[in-house]
Order: sequence, then structure tokens, then C-alpha cells
Amino acid sequence: MGDFLLTIPWAVVLILLPLVGAIACFLWPKKVNQLGLITLGGVFLSVVGLGAWLLENGVYHHAVGGWNAPLGIQLYADGLSLVMLGITALVGVAVSVYATAYFDRSQSERFWPLWLFLLTALNALFLSADIFNLYVTLELLGLSAVALVALGGGKAALNGAMRYLLASLLGSLLFLFGVALLYHTYGSLDLAMLSEQVESTPTVWMALGLMSAGLLLKTALFPLHFWLPPAHASAFSPISALLSALVVKASFYLLLRLWLEIFWPISGSVAGLFGVLGVMAILWGSLQALRQTRVKMLVAYSTVAQIGYLFLAFPLAMGAGVTAWNAVIYLAISHALAKAAMFMAAGNLLRFGGHDRIADLDQLAQRLPLTIAAFALAGVSFIGLPPSGGFIGKWLLLEAALMQGRWDLAVVMVLGGILAAMYIFKVLGYAFTEASKPSKVKTVPVRMEWAALLLASGAILLGFLAPLILPLLAIGTPFDAFSGNEEIMP
Amino acid sequence: MEALSLLQWLIDGLIGIGLLWLAWRALFCPELFKAIVLFIAFGLLMTLAWVRLKAPDVALAEVAIGAGLTGALLLSSWAKLRGFDANKGMGAREKNSEQAEQKTKRPFFHGLYAIPLLLMAVGLGYGVLQLTPYATGLSAVVAENLDASGVSNPVTAVLLNFRAYDTLLEIAVLLLALIGIWSLGIRPSVREATPDPVLDLLTRFLTPLLLLVSAYLLWVGAHAPGGAFQAGSVLGAAGVLLILAGWRLPLSLAGLPLRITLVAGVSTFIVVAVLTMLGGAQLLAFPPSQASLIIFVLEITATLSIAAILAALFLGSRPDHSEKI
Repeated sequence: MGDFLLTIPWAVVLILLPLVGAIACFLWPKKVNQLGLITLGGVFLSVVGLGAWLLENGVYHHAVGGWNAPLGIQLYADGLSLVMLGITALVGVAVSVYATAYFDRSQSERFWPLWLFLLTALNALFLSADIFNLYVTLELLGLSAVALVALGGGKAALNGAMRYLLASLLGSLLFLFGVALLYHTYGSLDLAMLSEQVESTPTVWMALGLMSAGLLLKTALFPLHFWLPPAHASAFSPISALLSALVVKASFYLLLRLWLEIFWPISGSVAGLFGVLGVMAILWGSLQALRQTRVKMLVAYSTVAQIGYLFLAFPLAMGAGVTAWNAVIYLAISHALAKAAMFMAAGNLLRFGGHDRIADLDQLAQRLPLTIAAFALAGVSFIGLPPSGGFIGKWLLLEAALMQGRWDLAVVMVLGGILAAMYIFKVLGYAFTEASKPSKVKTVPVRMEWAALLLASGAILLGFLAPLILPLLAIGTPFDAFSGNEEIMP
Repeated sequence: MEALSLLQWLIDGLIGIGLLWLAWRALFCPELFKAIVLFIAFGLLMTLAWVRLKAPDVALAEVAIGAGLTGALLLSSWAKLRGFDANKGMGAREKNSEQAEQKTKRPFFHGLYAIPLLLMAVGLGYGVLQLTPYATGLSAVVAENLDASGVSNPVTAVLLNFRAYDTLLEIAVLLLALIGIWSLGIRPSVREATPDPVLDLLTRFLTPLLLLVSAYLLWVGAHAPGGAFQAGSVLGAAGVLLILAGWRLPLSLAGLPLRITLVAGVSTFIVVAVLTMLGGAQLLAFPPSQASLIIFVLEITATLSIAAILAALFLGSRPDHSEKI
């Protein structure tokens, strides 16, 4: 039985199953909740299956159509892909359960096909090793994300969606331009083949600039974050959770892959620029979060800040290699869990009081204890307090910084933690006090409270799981090739 | 001989300058309608450029999708926007005053934007000049494997065999675009179109012709420029014409039957993908002896779906939700 399960091509299932689910939801709108949940369950099991396969056999490689590179498209999965797929499935299941209670009939009919298309795009992106195919997955991802934002209706959501659409399209086009340049020069679209061939030429530098700029725009790194707060804050809460937790991570993952595989050997020096932008993002995002008067805007700006941490790894990886990359992936997955939980909690507050004005949170700690607990636990991970996933990530990153005497980056990390504590406690403080004008309240479905709380607990639990997750991440040694280790320790 | 090459230089030069001029005019034309017409003209000239570059497949796609359908979509959005402005005179006037406000700031900011854009243009221009004049490309590898692909047109071989997985996802993108637009819940326009006699007559002539062209493009795709995307967009254009002439899908067909047609293309792809995997082969690996047939089936359903999706995009709202919402 176990042998049979290992023969199933889980990676292919991960791409086709959500696509089939999306089509089924579109064809039979009456059954969307059941069809969607079954799909999510299947996707979750497939990630487990792929994990088991990878542990047994090392990296996964599949030549689509039986055509090897450079003619055909290659699917590829290593530890990094697996961890990203895993976090996507985990957040996906929680958000899906939450969504069954959050949306009404007609909303869920529109939500499910789009969300399953988004899931298809995410899984396909994490599994592809072909830069043109990656462009197609980016298009699928961008379009479904924009359509999900627009579901909110209303002026704010439509405006946010339009801005997001333009930013996302511009990002895709820049990426495609880079793809064309690389293909023209090297006659291949395969990441592995390209990584063997690239040299430092003006064309490659131009491709590097264009593709990085496109992906930075999609990842919303300061100062290209302008589209994120309106889009993420105006969407429905479960959708904000998906966007903040998963969609921006996907373009970050792609950027990381490109750098590790193609661009690192020629341009390690540019990494310093990413570090500077990361620092600015942490400070600017945190300060803006502190200034907000609405919970969802605050949480959205906190995403801008947290994305900054991910880019600190680039300047540090030169000397610290694997530690810095491990740190950043740990931060990315903790942020995914915690941010999804926080947006769900914000959704609960909105449902309960009909508003998310921070000043009028009116003793919610007593009236919605589970939700406020979820918010607080997620906050613990952002601040980086032990024992949370955020703590492990920041600890590893600090270690990498101190190892190289980068005190400036270490100070910014600590400062970012303090600022995060300030904006988290700003919300919590109002949740414990009585508001001046009481508002009418509605009940919040139990499922919505528990989904948020469980995900937030997951972010805390990640703090204990490092010995389990770091070896998984090391499958296929995604970070060894050009981590800089060779130069420091010959 | 020399005179001929001079003539070609002249034509290429005219196309190049014309493209730049049309692009500039389309971007900076204050009237939306004019800008759209200029954009369509740009698409047509672009088609000529592709023909000159000896890329007839791209030229066909450009004229059918870039100029034809995108133009039609833009014009239909323009018509809807105009109706919106007329309904809400107040809103339009407010917008005008806002625009006037913006205009006072404009010259300064335009100057600021120009600097980084100019720098970028110079950088890109330098980079493009550095490119090797002839791409390494994969034409040789494609030609080597063409016999096993089931078709003799290399473009079709790439799209439906070597990189069929890309095409699967691209058809999914097209379907997603329609689902995304439908999910906005736009009300269908209640106004019944009164068929203009000229349009009515034209539709009667053109629809059968477009059907024929579409079938030809689909068939010829196996060995010459053509294929599902081009055939689908021509068929879609026939649908757009019918919609313009006031024809609507009967309500009995607008529900599940329409949705099945819309998803047929991508679903066939998925079925083929699953069958190849069950047969123990790689994903979407066609046995060379049956590749030709598989590709033809994929192309037929893809053509139908693409046409249905494009016509539905033009209509904009869900045809089965006329009384709901």
C-alpha cells in the first residue's frame, strides 16, 4: 500500500486537482462548499504524499510531455517547493473552512472558482522550473487575485482591484521581457540549464533588472508597496488572508529561486540594495501601521513591514549562506500563518461590530475571547517573542547578521519588533477597554473564531517545529549552490 | 535587386515610424473614442510588422485578438462608460472639475516622470543593441523532433505538444478572465438592440463566411500558420457580430450548456493529461502514432471554448442572470 502511494505523481495531482475543482465549482454552483472542501482536502493529502516521496527519493523531477529541457517544460520539487506547498495547503484549508461560514450563498458561488484557480496557480508556480511557464502561472495568479479583491464590490474594493490589476500586469510584463532576453541569449527557458550558462553580460543584467523589478512590484517591497494596503484592506477578510499570506509570498519565492539559480553568481553585490529596501520597508510599514485607525489597514501595513524582513537575507546570505535563507523561509511561513490568522480575526471583529475602527473595539476581549486570543498569538509571532515561528526566523536572521558584524541590520530587526509590539498592543489595548459609543453586535460563527485561533496557534507551534522543518527544507539543498559558503569556508 | 531592397527598407521604415506615431497618438489623445480607434489602427499596423518579420502565426493572432477582439472589447466598454456618464450627469461634472485640478499639476509631474523613463529607455535600448543579431533559439531542436509531434507546423507542435502544458494553463487563464468578469455581477443591459438594416445584412453575409474561415484556420493549423487560438478568435468574432445584431442565446442554453462549452477546452486538456498519466507516461506525453488525432481533438474543443469565451467577454454580463441579482 505504501509503495503504491509513492507511485502516484503527487506533484501533478497538486496542479490538476484544484483546476478540476475550480471547473466543477463553476459548473455546479449549488454544491460549491462541498466541492471546494473536498478539493482542499485532496490538495492537503497530496502535499503530504509529495513530502513522503521527497523524503524517500530526494528531489522530484518530471519532464512534461516526455520532452526534456530545453524543448519541454520541467516540473521540479525540492525542500523549498515542498515547504511553500505545505504552507499554502495549510492556510488554504483554514481559510476555506472560514469561508464556508463567512460568505453567503451567492458570494460563495463567486468565491470558490476564483480561489481554486488561485490555488492552481500557486501550486503550479511552486512546482515549475521553466521561466516561461512561470510567467503563465504568474498571470493566472495575478488575475485570480485581482478578481478576488474585486468580489468585495463597492468603491474601495473596485478601486483597490484596479490598482492591483495595473501593478500586477506591469510586473508580469517586466518579467516576460526578462524571459525573452534570456531565451534570446541562451536558447533555453529551463532554470537548471540557464544556471549553468549565465555570464555577466549587459543582456543578463538587463534581464536581472527587469525580472527583479517586476517581482518586487508584485511582492510589494517598499517603495513599490503602494497598491497593497488598499487592495488587501478592502477585500473580504478571508481573501485578504489569502493575498497577504500566500500571494505575495509566491512572487517572493520566485524572486528567490531566480536569484539562487540564475542571478546570484553574477550579481551578489546588488543584494545590498535589497537589504536597504528591506530596512526601509520595515521602518515605513511599521510606522504607517501605527498610524492607522482601522484594524484591516493596520494589518495590511504590517504586511508591508514584514515583507521587509524577507529581503534582509539577501545581503546576509553572502557570508551566512544557508542560515540566512533558512531564516527567511521560516519568517515567510510564520508570517503566512500569523497574517492569515490576523486577517481572519479582523474579519470576525468586522462581523461582530459591523466596523473595524480600532478606537471603538469596545471590550471585545471579553465578548470575543477566541478572536482576540488569535489576534494576540499572531501578534506574538510578528513581534518575534519566543516561542513562536517568528522568533525562530528572527533569531536565525539575527545570528546571520551578528556573525558578519552587520549591527545596523540587527538594530533594525529589533526596532521592527518593538514597533510591531506597539501596533499590536494598540489594538489589544482598545479591545480591553469600553468604547464611548456602544454599537449593535451580531454573532460570529464558531467556525470562524476557531479557524483564526488554530492558525495563530500554528504560528506559535512553528517555534517548536524547527528541528522538523529545517531538514525538510534541506531536501535537494536548494540554498547550497550559490549561498556563498564556498567562498567563506573552502 | 537593389531597388527592391531599398523599397523594403522604405516600407519597414514607414511601418516603424507609423507604429511610434500611432502609439503616441493613442496614448495622448484626449478623446477616449479616438484613442481606441487609434489603438485598433496600431494593431493593424503591428500585424504588417509581424508579416515583415516573417512571423505569420503572430500576425494572425495580432490581427484577430490584438486589433479585432481587443478593439471590440474596448469599444463595448466605451459604450458602457458613456451610458454611465449620461445617467449620472453630476458624477461626470465632478470628475471634470477633478480633472481640471489635476491638469494644473500635470506639466511639472510629467517632467519628473520623463527622467527615469528616459533613463530606462536608454538602458533598454543599449541592452537590446547588445543582443546577438541571431537568437540561439530552439528551431533546430523543434525541427529534429517534429516527426514525433504529430503535426508538421512547428508552431502548432510547440503549442500543442512540446509545451502543451503552457497552453493548458493559458486556456485556463482565458476562462478565469471570464469568470472574474462574471463575478463582478454586472447587470446585463436591458436595452434591446434594434437591428440596424445594414448591420443585419452584413451579419447574414459575414457569419457563414467567418464560420468557414474559422474551420479552415483550425484545419490548416496542423501544417501551416493557423490553429485553435486564431480559429477561436475568428469564430468569436462571428459571435460578437451576432450579439451586435441583437441575437441572444436562448435562455434554455444560457445556463449549464453554455458553461460546459466554456470549460470544454481546458477540460479536454485535463482529461488527456489524466489519461496519459494513467497510461504510465509523463504528463501530456502523446504516443507519436496518435499525437495527430489527440492534437486535433484538443484543438477542436479549444476553438469552441475560446470562441464562446471571447463572445461572452464581449457581452460582459452573465446571460443566465438577466432576472437574478
